Amino acid sequence: MPSWVTDLFSNFWVSLTGKLLLVALLIPLVGMVIGFAEMKLSAKMQYRVGPYFAGGRWGWAQLIADGVKFFQKEDIIPTDADRPVFKTAPMLVLVGTVALFVVIPFGPNLIFRDLDVAVFYALAISSLSTIGILMAGWSSANKYSLIGGLRAAGQLIAYELPLVLAVVGAVILAGTMSLQGIVQAQIEAGYPYIVLQVIGFGVFMVAALAELSRIPFDMPIAESELVMGYLTEYSGFRFLFFFLAEFANMFTLSAIAATLFLGGYWLPGVPDDVLEFAGPIILIAKTFLLVFAMIWFRWTFPRFREDQLQRIAWVWLVPLAIFNIIATALLKVIL
Amino acid sequence: MTSSPSDTETQETEAQETPAEPEVHPLQAFADRVAEAVGGSAEIQFDTVKVKVAADDWVSAHQTARDQLDLVFFSWLSAIDWANDVASGDRLGEAVEERIELLTALSNVVDGNLVILSTDLAPQQPEIPSLVDVYAGANWHEREAYEMFGIQFDGHPNLIHLYLPDSFIGNPLRKSYPLLSREVKPWPGTVDVEAMPNANDADEPSTENPES
Amino acid sequence: MTIDSDAVRHLSEASVSVELQTEDMTLNIGPQHPSTHGVLRLVARVDGERCFDVHPVIGYMHRGYEKLSEVRTYPQITTIVNRIDWVSGYANEIPFITAAEKLMGLEVPERAQYIRLILTEMARIASHLIFNASYPLELGAATPLFFALRERERVLDLLESVTGGRFHPNFNRIGGVKPAYASGSTTRKLLQDLPAGFFAETRVAMDKVLEAVDELDALVADNEIIVARTKGVGVLPPEVAVAYGVSGPNLRASGVAFDLRKTEDYLPYDRFDFDVITGENGDCWDRWHVRLLEIKESVKIIRQAIDTIPSGDLQAKVPKVIKVPKGETYVRAENPKGEMGYYLVSDGGQGPYRLKIRSASFSNISILPWILEGILVPDIIAVMGSLDFVLGDVDR
Repeated sequence: MPSWVTDLFSNFWVSLTGKLLLVALLIPLVGMVIGFAEMKLSAKMQYRVGPYFAGGRWGWAQLIADGVKFFQKEDIIPTDADRPVFKTAPMLVLVGTVALFVVIPFGPNLIFRDLDVAVFYALAISSLSTIGILMAGWSSANKYSLIGGLRAAGQLIAYELPLVLAVVGAVILAGTMSLQGIVQAQIEAGYPYIVLQVIGFGVFMVAALAELSRIPFDMPIAESELVMGYLTEYSGFRFLFFFLAEFANMFTLSAIAATLFLGGYWLPGVPDDVLEFAGPIILIAKTFLLVFAMIWFRWTFPRFREDQLQRIAWVWLVPLAIFNIIATALLKVIL
Repeated sequence: MTSSPSDTETQETEAQETPAEPEVHPLQAFADRVAEAVGGSAEIQFDTVKVKVAADDWVSAHQTARDQLDLVFFSWLSAIDWANDVASGDRLGEAVEERIELLTALSNVVDGNLVILSTDLAPQQPEIPSLVDVYAGANWHEREAYEMFGIQFDGHPNLIHLYLPDSFIGNPLRKSYPLLSREVKPWPGTVDVEAMPNANDADEPSTENPES
Repeated sequence: MTIDSDAVRHLSEASVSVELQTEDMTLNIGPQHPSTHGVLRLVARVDGERCFDVHPVIGYMHRGYEKLSEVRTYPQITTIVNRIDWVSGYANEIPFITAAEKLMGLEVPERAQYIRLILTEMARIASHLIFNASYPLELGAATPLFFALRERERVLDLLESVTGGRFHPNFNRIGGVKPAYASGSTTRKLLQDLPAGFFAETRVAMDKVLEAVDELDALVADNEIIVARTKGVGVLPPEVAVAYGVSGPNLRASGVAFDLRKTEDYLPYDRFDFDVITGENGDCWDRWHVRLLEIKESVKIIRQAIDTIPSGDLQAKVPKVIKVPKGETYVRAENPKGEMGYYLVSDGGQGPYRLKIRSASFSNISILPWILEGILVPDIIAVMGSLDFVLGDVDR
């Protein structure tokens, strides 16, 4: 890298601005790519073609067209809605997602900020979205939104616990909460942690699906019952925020799962200097594998009822995760 | 799930070529049994068993039908407005006694025997006890009969309009209730029953809309 | 279509005192809603996720069929009757035509009866396929819909090739079915009755339909989530079902083996070999599964009918102006949704004096207040969907 570039970016404010711009660019890009993938994959599963006309035969410009469409729509706020809360809710949900990008290691030196408590930070900040969803449900002055918000409250809070417990196993094995450190620990160990943490990985993916409110856990939205749940009254660019946040969140949670359990940006047998620029590609490939699984589940399964959902969280996932922690701790002590 | 007693084609409609003995309808035994149990008079018209009971015996007849005759399936309840003056449609060929005839259809679920119970009500203020306690399904059917014919069902838990708006006045299925559009524009449909038009005939029925 | 608004307001302001002083909420499900199969409105009083009672409000689609038929002639009524239950359009015409023919004493030619039977069973397949595919959609599974609708298109194409219409065939005439005349001919020369290749295409279509049924069975019937959402939900005991007049697959799913195709003679079903499918528990899963198996039975019937169809006339001799003699009769048929019947009162004129239409869905959803009492909100959708009603059938 030319020296004037490194000198420029060693300035704190310049590098900060650069990172902010990069994140701001990544979110819509990731959202669009995953959204497009969802459209095409679901079409393939249903004997359809999916987007076909926008941008030539592939239809790749469909999401760009959708984005522009959402932006130019009228901003409708219900008369009885609580305006400040109504406007802030989508922003909170997006913030909870965007902030997760900060700690994901894309390469040995490619990370926005390597925090020592990265795992803790990631889990804490992702629960900010929960507050945003509750605000959306409450402020919409619509009974369907209210029911959706209530369901979201129960579901998202219930599934925080398995999410947190599931990662504790990987943290114990690595001995550090820094995500970069966990990848390094997997590199040193020579195997990705999924080999020892199958239960943890399973619990994490299920809890992640529930945190994203995706089928089979999409009771808060429940399109066939509640119209759109807490999203009913949102239209235009506010809806776009939620929309983008969901897809970006799919990406970030899958990326965190890939980092914790699948080895992150590392593949066995790849030398370190190759990892510098191949790292992001490897990580994104693993992430998309998990995203594909999420899309697959969404179009295959129906949705659980709220009480069945809670039962899964409390009766199945939490005990499994605790068992996983105990087993991992014993393993660490013995081995 | 047995099949029906025998195939009941058009046996008893027209005079048969077979001489002498009148054919007994396969449902005659069933009809007589029902009539005897509920205390009414039975007739079989075109393969349909119809038993007429007095209005006072209405509820008890249904109770007997349900308990003793195994007619547990409540199919429908409705009415016929026999009137000599009609606001729309064809008049009756010969004058009848003006009344509201209330009908219910009850059926057996094993062999499919169906009976139509009927009773006559006064046309001005028709009133009869409700069947809701005997057959729970009568609830909505009686509401429909109430709004369409104006029949009062005593003891019905919720006798309000079923289909029509709150503010609707009148009983549409009564013969005295006109179909309003007929008053504005004469029905051009009679043209359809004539012969198929030949090549030169391309006239539409006249649809002159009065400028109003 | 009204509810006692004072009573509902009173109900909605009543508070349920548990340990916390919670209030219940009146939720309007419908009339515009993704899952109400049309314009049905349910006024539900809910407390959290538990629903206390439900008042259905119907009549948003009331078209006044019974009053209308008093001012129409019989052929005209044939054209409008198939719009009552539009998903299985052909099947609605049959009992009405049979009632008129009974009063006239007409004998319908055998070939016409077989054609009517084949088309009715195709209408049944179409109706059941769309139910079996769209019910998982209400529970959240979007994909079975596409698999089943593909095969349904074949059946609808067959219906269209014979009758000219996918949903509103208008194919029956008093005395038989409509013969196809050579177009442009004034001498009414009979060209053909069924389109060329109809039987071969039907055989292919039936094979594909069975494949789709097996696919749905494998994909949906044993799926753990579907089972968890539908087994034991919305149980309908047979005594309650018959008291409310619930008929068709809903009744058979509750264990009552009552099929009008076996007990009535409006079409020659007694010449064919098919089973009456019943369920065990009367819950939503049973109602879904019974209809799936009934598709297989319909395929069986169609195959047998195609193999044994006799040749002959398509329509009995009828006068040009049809006047039905005086009389009253009630003819009922096994429609895909349940029992459909017409009580025809004729006075010898060109149109009926009174036509009472007994539609299946009306009785089927009169059970909603009973069955939805004390149920969870998501289960409202599951139960409502499993009853398979169509608003045109409810409101007429």
